Amino acid sequence: MNKSEFLAQLKKGLSGLPEADVAERLSFYGEMIDDRIEDGLSEEEAVNEIGNVDEIVSQIISEVSLPKLVKQKISPKRKLTAVEIVLLILGLPIWLPLLIAAIAVAFSVYVTVWAVIVSLWAAFVSLIAGGLSAFVSGVALLLNQTPMSGLLMLAALFICAGLSVFAFFGCMAATKGILALTKRTAVWLKTRMMKGEE
Amino acid sequence: MDIQLKRGLLDVCVLAAIREEDSYGYQIIKDMKPYIELSESTLYTILKRLEAARMLTVRTAEHDGRLRKYYHITADGLKRIDDFKKEWKEILSIYQFVTKGDDKNE
Repeated sequence: MNKSEFLAQLKKGLSGLPEADVAERLSFYGEMIDDRIEDGLSEEEAVNEIGNVDEIVSQIISEVSLPKLVKQKISPKRKLTAVEIVLLILGLPIWLPLLIAAIAVAFSVYVTVWAVIVSLWAAFVSLIAGGLSAFVSGVALLLNQTPMSGLLMLAALFICAGLSVFAFFGCMAATKGILALTKRTAVWLKTRMMKGEE
Repeated sequence: MDIQLKRGLLDVCVLAAIREEDSYGYQIIKDMKPYIELSESTLYTILKRLEAARMLTVRTAEHDGRLRKYYHITADGLKRIDDFKKEWKEILSIYQFVTKGDDKNE
């Protein structure tokens, strides 16, 4: 890959960012390549040393904050005309409730997912609590000369203890999975917003 | 190494690289290479952050028929380096305390 191909690919990957930002980054990488060539490298070698375009793009995207992307996305390319402003205000009773509803749906999906995680942990805690109470009542029953009931309670204790071990690893895995999914969704959302600019 | 710690260290390294005289992107990377590897993307982010914090200023100058950006350290940048040295004196004495009994315990 030569310098202009590299810069063109980089520009394409960053097309959702503010134009001034992209121009500044492009001149930065351009300067880096030129300085390497001056240092005795060939153009190909210089570009190779900078690294993979896709990796650079995804690193830059992950560093850009979501609010900045949204701001860039919704800022109009030109000034709104008077008619458009009037239409926007007249349409307010329609689009505002729709917007609020969309945000509410997204928020409730998020809350629901985390509610599942909370309930999994609640099940884990109740297993522990069940085990503890089985232990206490088991010992009490054994001492109270009802050994059969006591043994039954101790058996319940072991079942609770065993299940809670599995439940713990299950809960941990679910929590980690959801965290990773949240992160991936954020990157996906950003990428989609930037792609939409093309 | 802890990411926050490394970030702070890299900031000071870049400041140190432009302390003696104004420098430019590729020269900074070359100067730091024997001590710490730094990618272009990381350097860009650091330079932006230091510029926003007024620890350095940027000027564009012509070099060999093309433009090159030079970075100049400010008084705030020099103070950052001094603060760093003081902080590390403290950290070093803590380190000596922590490792004091190592020979006996091994």
